[in-house]
Amino acid sequence: MSILANKDTRAVIIGGVAGVNAAKRMAQFDYLINRPLTVQAFVYPPEAGQQKEIFRGGELKNVTVYNSLAPALNEHPEINTALIYLGASRATQAAIEALESPNIQLVSMITEGVPEKDAKRLKKLAQKHGKMLNGPSSIGVMSAGECRLGVIGGEYRNLKLCNLYRPGSFGVLTKSGGLSNEAMWLCAQNGDGITSAVAIGGDAYPGTDFVTYLEMFENDSDTKAVVLVGEVGGNLEEEAAEWLAAEPRRIKLIAAIGGTCQEVLPQGMKFGHAGAKEGKKGAGSARSKMNALREAGAYVPDTFGGLSKAIKQVYEELLASGAIKPESEIDEALLPELPPSVQEVMKQGEVIVEPLIRTTISDDRGEEPRYAGYAASELCSKGYGIEDVVGLLWGKKLPTREESEIIKRIIMISADHGPAVSGAYGSILAACAGIDMPQAVSAGMTMIGPRFGGAVTNAGKYFKMGVKDYPNDIPGFLAWMKKNVGPVPGIGHRVKSLRNPDQRVKYLVSYVQNETSLHTPILNYALEVEKITTAKKDNLILNVDGTMGCILMDLGFPEHSLNGFFVLARTIGMIGHWIDQNNQNARLIRLYDYLINYAVKPERPVPDKK
Amino acid sequence: MAKILEGPAMKLFNKWGIPVPNYVVIMDPERLAQLGEANKWLRESKLVVKAHEAIGGRFKLGLVKIGLNLEEAIAASREMIGAKIGTSEVRQVIVAEMLDHDAEYYVSMIGNKDGAELLISKHGGVDIEDNWDSVKRIQIPLDENPTIEQLTQIATDAGFEGEIAERIAKICSRLILCFDNEDAQSIEINPLVIRKSDMRFAALDAVMNIDWDARFRHADWDFKPVSEIGRPFTEAEQQIMDIDSRIKGSVKLVEVPGGEVALLTAGGGASVFYADAVVARGGTIANYAEYSGDPADWAVEALTETICRLPNIKHIIVGGAIANFTDVKATFSGIINGFRESKSKGYLEGVKIWVRRGGPNEAQGLAAIRKLQEEGFDIHVYDRSMPMTDIVDMAMKS
Repeated sequence: MSILANKDTRAVIIGGVAGVNAAKRMAQFDYLINRPLTVQAFVYPPEAGQQKEIFRGGELKNVTVYNSLAPALNEHPEINTALIYLGASRATQAAIEALESPNIQLVSMITEGVPEKDAKRLKKLAQKHGKMLNGPSSIGVMSAGECRLGVIGGEYRNLKLCNLYRPGSFGVLTKSGGLSNEAMWLCAQNGDGITSAVAIGGDAYPGTDFVTYLEMFENDSDTKAVVLVGEVGGNLEEEAAEWLAAEPRRIKLIAAIGGTCQEVLPQGMKFGHAGAKEGKKGAGSARSKMNALREAGAYVPDTFGGLSKAIKQVYEELLASGAIKPESEIDEALLPELPPSVQEVMKQGEVIVEPLIRTTISDDRGEEPRYAGYAASELCSKGYGIEDVVGLLWGKKLPTREESEIIKRIIMISADHGPAVSGAYGSILAACAGIDMPQAVSAGMTMIGPRFGGAVTNAGKYFKMGVKDYPNDIPGFLAWMKKNVGPVPGIGHRVKSLRNPDQRVKYLVSYVQNETSLHTPILNYALEVEKITTAKKDNLILNVDGTMGCILMDLGFPEHSLNGFFVLARTIGMIGHWIDQNNQNARLIRLYDYLINYAVKPERPVPDKK
Repeated sequence: MAKILEGPAMKLFNKWGIPVPNYVVIMDPERLAQLGEANKWLRESKLVVKAHEAIGGRFKLGLVKIGLNLEEAIAASREMIGAKIGTSEVRQVIVAEMLDHDAEYYVSMIGNKDGAELLISKHGGVDIEDNWDSVKRIQIPLDENPTIEQLTQIATDAGFEGEIAERIAKICSRLILCFDNEDAQSIEINPLVIRKSDMRFAALDAVMNIDWDARFRHADWDFKPVSEIGRPFTEAEQQIMDIDSRIKGSVKLVEVPGGEVALLTAGGGASVFYADAVVARGGTIANYAEYSGDPADWAVEALTETICRLPNIKHIIVGGAIANFTDVKATFSGIINGFRESKSKGYLEGVKIWVRRGGPNEAQGLAAIRKLQEEGFDIHVYDRSMPMTDIVDMAMKS
């Protein structure tokens, strides 16, 4: 048996992330004692319509977030309890709605800092409707073996350590949340555990007082004794003493009262909970509460430390009188463990998980990213540049100084080629249409292909093949290409020719050949090919794609990485064009009619649809 | 409870039609001279000058001067502003009109669980303590305001007659409005004075407590509550309050000069029991501190460093119950960093540290703090199996 919360309790949580966290903790308890999920719904307008994932053991449950209380209660008529997890400025209104909903019998509020006037009004409203209001500032309610409302009881392991999976004989009433947990632990250590534990909150005007709960415990035959942890301020403990003294009570009362230290502190120095304020002339002092409770017949140790002994003593008396039968110990091994997360099991080395992807180039799991094992900051501090990072991430090796100088030049030379080429024009068109940078640059990117910038990979690939398969037979190579591929990738230019050479190509070839010691068999082969092709037609020169492809193959980059150099380099240009258009406040453009040949059918009537 | 100073209280009285004397609050004595040029009452009335600070026993400290003319009031302000009283300094004075009056009455209102109680007496001023029997009371249930007839009746019961009873009832009805609408917890007007020649009333002194938690619905509360601890807050206390206002959860600190046992305790309930345990064993606390609601580790670190700097401490009690949701590992990492930092700055010399805690991730948290032993800290670490306040017993016996 229990008070306030039991096996039939079904709850709605009104609130956001803190409420969801509480629901997760509550589901752990549901799993421990094998009961259905306590939380049936959330109410939180900002996240209305979402599903919250709640694990009950290994079972994933989805709990709906509603926009307001009424639809949640309509769809879940079994809900009889509302937990308020909102901030102080909104909590009162939520509590009013809950108290006014016919199905809801108990409202528990965790909210701290609820104005006193609001708390008083809520209490009055609860009384009017015959409802229970617990809190504000309450960590929640725990009924061992039956129901958990809120995060009371803490982490899963503690639920077991405090024997909360099965009822005991002690009730617990506290103002403080932390001490409710401590008291449950003391009851498990020195007695047989708890029936229910209620934290009423440390505010000046709690919704429900100690006496109301004592009366409920008195009527709960399984509860044989109650541990009450009170404190200086207010008169709830005095009322409890009066209640105890008023007539013979079935339950025994053990109480600890905090705040005796205030006797020796400078006058007016107050601390602790909002309600922990001594009144005029010592009214509500810890000492006067202790005296009142002692006179009423409660067990009241001088300090909190004495609580263990008092609980033990009462437990032994109850055992001796036969009121409690000795509890047979449950083998804790029979209690379920929370299913661990995949990460936890992997740490133990007890599970094999097939990886979804594999990477061989970089790792960010440490303090900073590492490229092929090298820390990014160390590369910077040792004077490496972006071209070395390209070498590492694309080719998995650190280029030599000579190699990185070549890479740098390739990127510099191909960064842009004016606004007229399809890539830049695509970006500009998008920029003029007001498209944001990433999408506008992607528009330019989509132009990269066989007719624009996309020949680097194939040029490298086929010239390399030529070196291997037709080392001294360029006509043979050209014949093979004509038969199997078509025009040789990397050969030919729309405007440049032998007489009007591409300065970029000229520079690159001369730089690599004259200023570096790079061995360039593929470039040399392509230049031989160019001699033959230009003899046929003046503009069949080795173009910049072809030159880059050959040099990059000579540098040892993987074949399929080669187009990347053009993509990387030209991204710089496309971003530049986008920035430029935006700086210039460029307007939307459209083609002029005179640039279009409308080779269309003349105007004609639309026939009736058959 | 949040006590506010006379100035803000007078302003709220004025707002709700409770008669107050003319007054000004100033920080600069020269400003009073200028105000004198603009305000006839400053030139023509007798004045009272009071330090406008949360300092108890102002009269005895010479921080209340009465019966002054403007020049004397300027001189008194000059004397008071900047005066150092213990650790605090007078920064403002309130200068009010000293109303000639024929009688001093007492009116107050104090909240209780069912609403509030209104108290009225004909014997106000310093006489009230001796005439407590003369006080008439009426319970004002929540959201139910008494009629003016009822209030007149209670005033009559308290011995007021005729027009005065009616005027007192009227002032009470406004007091009830002010109390209710300003989320007050208590208002004491003593004395409420009357000058019978022109039937002028005024609340000459006011003590008002407001519910600071209700500030979200009071856009015109342009003041801050004064310290509730009988003295102004210290710089360290203010720093912790500042952190407290910025974080989820809370960190709190009150310094108690001269104590030997510092508290670095968790939870609003448990922390008080730790203070009790120190006192019960004949020790003296150097502070009260509390962190709860799973505060950020950096906030706990700041609290730790502040506590390590308390002078002449011999023990630090890192105590707490078994937490519900405050992460022990995370909050302890803040405490550990705070200890390390403090030690590197030369604090914690000869200080013994006593730890007892439980809660989420307790095993990792306790293991981490136990490692401080290897770094030369005199630290004693216990888990949930140690009764909560027994570390205090051990500290006091060591």
